[in-house]
Amino acid sequence: MVIANEFDYRRPVTLAEATEILANHSGSVRILAGGTDLVAWLRDDAIAPDLVVDIKKVPGLHDLKLDGDTLRIGALVTFTDLIESDVVKEHAPLLAEMSETVASQGIRNRATMVGNICSAVPSCDAGPVLLAYDTTVHVTGPDGDRALDINDWFLGLRQTARTDDEVVTHLTIALRPHGGVYVKLMRYGGEDLAQAAVGIVAYADQEYRVAFGAVAPTPIRSARIEDALRGRPLDDALIAETVAMVRDEISPITDIRASAEYRTRMTEVMLKRGLVAATERLAGTGPAYGTRLI
Amino acid sequence: MTVEYPFEAEPEDAELKTVGTPVVRIDGLDKISGAAQFVDDIDFGPGLLHAAIVESPYAYAKIISIDTSKAEAAKGVVRVATGKDFPYKFGMYMEDRYIFAQDYVRFVGEQVAGVVARSHREAVQAAKLIEVEYEVLTPLLDPRGAVAEGADLIHPDLDNYTHVPWFFPKADTNIAHWRKIRKGDTEKAFAEADYVLEDTYFVPRYAHCAIEPHVTVSKFDYSDRLTVWTASQSPHTQRHLFAEALAPLGLTHKDVRVITPYVGGGFGGKAGVSMEIMGAALATLVKGRPVKLRWTREQEFYNTYQRQGVVAELKVGVMNDGEITAVEHKLYWDAGAYVEYGANVVNAAGLSATGPYRVPNITNDSLCIYTNLPPGGPYRGFGYSEFHFGLESHMDRIAMAIGMDAVEFRRKNAIVEGDELAYGASMNPSGMLEAIDKTAAAINWGVEEESDNPNTVIGKGMALFWKAPAMPPNSSSASFLKFNEDGSINITVSGMELGQGYLTVMAQIAGEVLSVPVGKIRVETPDTDRNPYEWQTVASHVTWSSGLAVEKAAIEARGKIFDVIHQVYGYEDDSLYLEDEAVKCRTDASFSKPLREFVIDGIQTEDGTWRGGPIVASGKFMPEFTNANSDPETGQGGHPNVHYTVGATGVVLEIDKETGRIWVRKAALAVDAGRAINPDLVNGQITGGLVQGLATVLYEDMRFDEGGKMLNPTFTDYKIPTAFDIPDEIIPIIVEVPQPDGPFGARGVGEHTMIGAAPVIANAVYNALGVRIKSMPITQEKVAMAIIEKSEECAE
Repeated sequence: MVIANEFDYRRPVTLAEATEILANHSGSVRILAGGTDLVAWLRDDAIAPDLVVDIKKVPGLHDLKLDGDTLRIGALVTFTDLIESDVVKEHAPLLAEMSETVASQGIRNRATMVGNICSAVPSCDAGPVLLAYDTTVHVTGPDGDRALDINDWFLGLRQTARTDDEVVTHLTIALRPHGGVYVKLMRYGGEDLAQAAVGIVAYADQEYRVAFGAVAPTPIRSARIEDALRGRPLDDALIAETVAMVRDEISPITDIRASAEYRTRMTEVMLKRGLVAATERLAGTGPAYGTRLI
Repeated sequence: MTVEYPFEAEPEDAELKTVGTPVVRIDGLDKISGAAQFVDDIDFGPGLLHAAIVESPYAYAKIISIDTSKAEAAKGVVRVATGKDFPYKFGMYMEDRYIFAQDYVRFVGEQVAGVVARSHREAVQAAKLIEVEYEVLTPLLDPRGAVAEGADLIHPDLDNYTHVPWFFPKADTNIAHWRKIRKGDTEKAFAEADYVLEDTYFVPRYAHCAIEPHVTVSKFDYSDRLTVWTASQSPHTQRHLFAEALAPLGLTHKDVRVITPYVGGGFGGKAGVSMEIMGAALATLVKGRPVKLRWTREQEFYNTYQRQGVVAELKVGVMNDGEITAVEHKLYWDAGAYVEYGANVVNAAGLSATGPYRVPNITNDSLCIYTNLPPGGPYRGFGYSEFHFGLESHMDRIAMAIGMDAVEFRRKNAIVEGDELAYGASMNPSGMLEAIDKTAAAINWGVEEESDNPNTVIGKGMALFWKAPAMPPNSSSASFLKFNEDGSINITVSGMELGQGYLTVMAQIAGEVLSVPVGKIRVETPDTDRNPYEWQTVASHVTWSSGLAVEKAAIEARGKIFDVIHQVYGYEDDSLYLEDEAVKCRTDASFSKPLREFVIDGIQTEDGTWRGGPIVASGKFMPEFTNANSDPETGQGGHPNVHYTVGATGVVLEIDKETGRIWVRKAALAVDAGRAINPDLVNGQITGGLVQGLATVLYEDMRFDEGGKMLNPTFTDYKIPTAFDIPDEIIPIIVEVPQPDGPFGARGVGEHTMIGAAPVIANAVYNALGVRIKSMPITQEKVAMAIIEKSEECAE
């Protein structure tokens, strides 16, 4: 493999140094964490930054812990970290269920979940789940720290609310008892990008969060489906009612990975099976986390 | 007509000690310890130069100008070359390619120029500085469109191209070869048939996806000798093509040396010559320094051979009792921009497009059609996988239409020994019926199964397969064998160890004849300076052909051993035999002379003098009963194929009725190996071939945009199965009806194991859902959409 374009490389050892480098650089810059997207894009000449800032040596970005009811996930936490974490297993197994569908073992060992939402491709696996969890994204930059609602994070294809001189430091998720599910449409059993995905979190009193991946320019929430579900017992009629809304809520494309119609049909199937599984998991029953529903 | 087999194999009833046993492969330690070297592992020192290639962005264009000045001035650049430097044609069966494009480019990715630099990075950077001006032309991407009246001619000079005598190009068309079979009277047979089914099947292009990309290091030294280290299945054929193509530079065969260390998978993609010719040519411009050219994964997809796509128009007639009376099979092959190898795939398919059935009336037309897609070429299955998809789908549909069980229908029509083949010769011994019965039994054919999961249904399918090696009639193999002081043996051959276990099988054959355990035999990968000739490691023929050459060398060595014993001790040769690495005598039970005591140093006689000396031997094999001289209009009169290997595939699969997802729960495959010299390796071929075949039907296919550019030249979007995608259970079944001229009765099985996979899935999907899918691949999306379409039709 060869990266033909040349660029400068900096490896700050404090967060302050990192933000200073970013603030003082006038050209195009990219942040390197896991690098699993970045290096592939560099190799393909899809991007040509003149500076790459490697944040792997910045302390304090590896946190994966529970503070009271708040789960804190640092910017350098990898998908493998999430899968292997006892805290995640006990309090947010949905994150592990999602992480297990990301790429392959080798990639999961390097790729960070924060990097996944910073790359912000429509099929990013973390997107629907973090949306369904009402996650907060914490960034820092020359103007200080900002806490962003994940619902305001995805601005468009590969575009986020982070400015070029900001670094994401961590995510926080306010946890309360829930059942979750991540269902992902793939072309086979091996590593694949989602052709469509559904992330659902079910809370007590029939309150749901429903998000979709790979069926719009960004991962999206569906307030309409959530409203329809709120306060009503989940039965076949209600499932059918929400499944019928899917077609209007999403805007998938046809490409070599899948047709728009297939993505739509499968999103309907995934919502149907996902709602049942999330509701059952909330009740402590249902298929074990990690079980493929399609 | 029966074939006279001139070579007398070892007696069938001989008690075998090594052949037929699951000996541990002899290259195992090399590979698990990391000792095995591949081309890219070899250290060529700091003088190594690196090449990068400038590729055409257009599928069809005229080259107006090439400006290399900026690249020549770039840092680290040693030399830049274009088509002007090498105006030489080359090709395996038809000389239709150039080393670098001349006036036209004919596919996206075609090489226009090459840069040699001190580092790979500098070469890649400089390649971007080469400016090529093109006049863009409209590409021909559809084979049936390319043979339509008035289509542009991709190769206007086709009529002047040099080619093998069994190709029949049609001047002033895009048809590079048209293999015809005309046997009996199909028109009359269709008129008299009780049932005729006619339909069209579509098979896309596929990539080999070997784990090791193509790589070559070439050095042209100051004595004008060209040495090329390549990841190749065909060292001698490469040497021959390099010597021919570069003959204008004064090179002869003895000046060209091809060294092929271990190869990380071939599957046909590393047969013949593709990118290697560029490396060899560029090296001649930078005398004294080795040049490495290594393909990226993307280049591996779009500028090596691809498996050709085909549109198959098939018509089959049967009587009510199930007898097949006529087959008309018209195959339109999308052969790509250059067909120097791929035209022989077309030829092979045309000869055998009836499938493994006894058919009295045949019209086969197999058309090799130039298109502006990457060059087609050899791929495991060599055309047979492609036409079996439609053919075996068709057979299921016919059986159903006439109310006959699909297995019984196949059994009734299956070709057996002595039946007449499409080209008039007769079928070799075959265990087809045994293969059918054992496969059907393994999947409980005829017993319907119900799923416990309300979302899924279960389906079963069967498909037969056959294939013959597709080789020039005089393609041959040779071997050298020598003993060492301790009675161990070195064998040199030029077949390639591609992971299939070839070296181990050669050791087993020699070990059996010479009573030497495989652990004492070393068989090395080829170096054309040292190792004797082998045509290529393709066609599933090396166990058979190279195996015969090794068996002959071993027999010759044994004869020399017996001669020494006879000279010294007086025993008659025919009373001697080898056992446990010693010469023994049937007439003197007390006699035993260990090989290690004399195979180098000889035996001292009573007068103090010595007899014997180093035991060395050679063997060669050429199938002297074949010929390709058939009538171009009927295909009758020749004997182009040496023999066929046959078998059957069966699956049980489960399908999610809402998503179309398919799980292969059980797959059984029976293949007639003649004799499984190493049953573990045959089982390995069955497993590997089956999985590769399932990949082509369930996941893979190449996609191109309307400009002819490949859209998925990466594993992100070209999916090959992972450990999560293999069948839950694979049942390998080895049938052994000996091949009369095979080493210990063996015939090849390597390619065959993937041929039945595509139709067997199509048939099982139909069995499960009542949906017939006539185009590959049968992805879960295609299945899901077919289910939706069917249920919405029913609802209307």
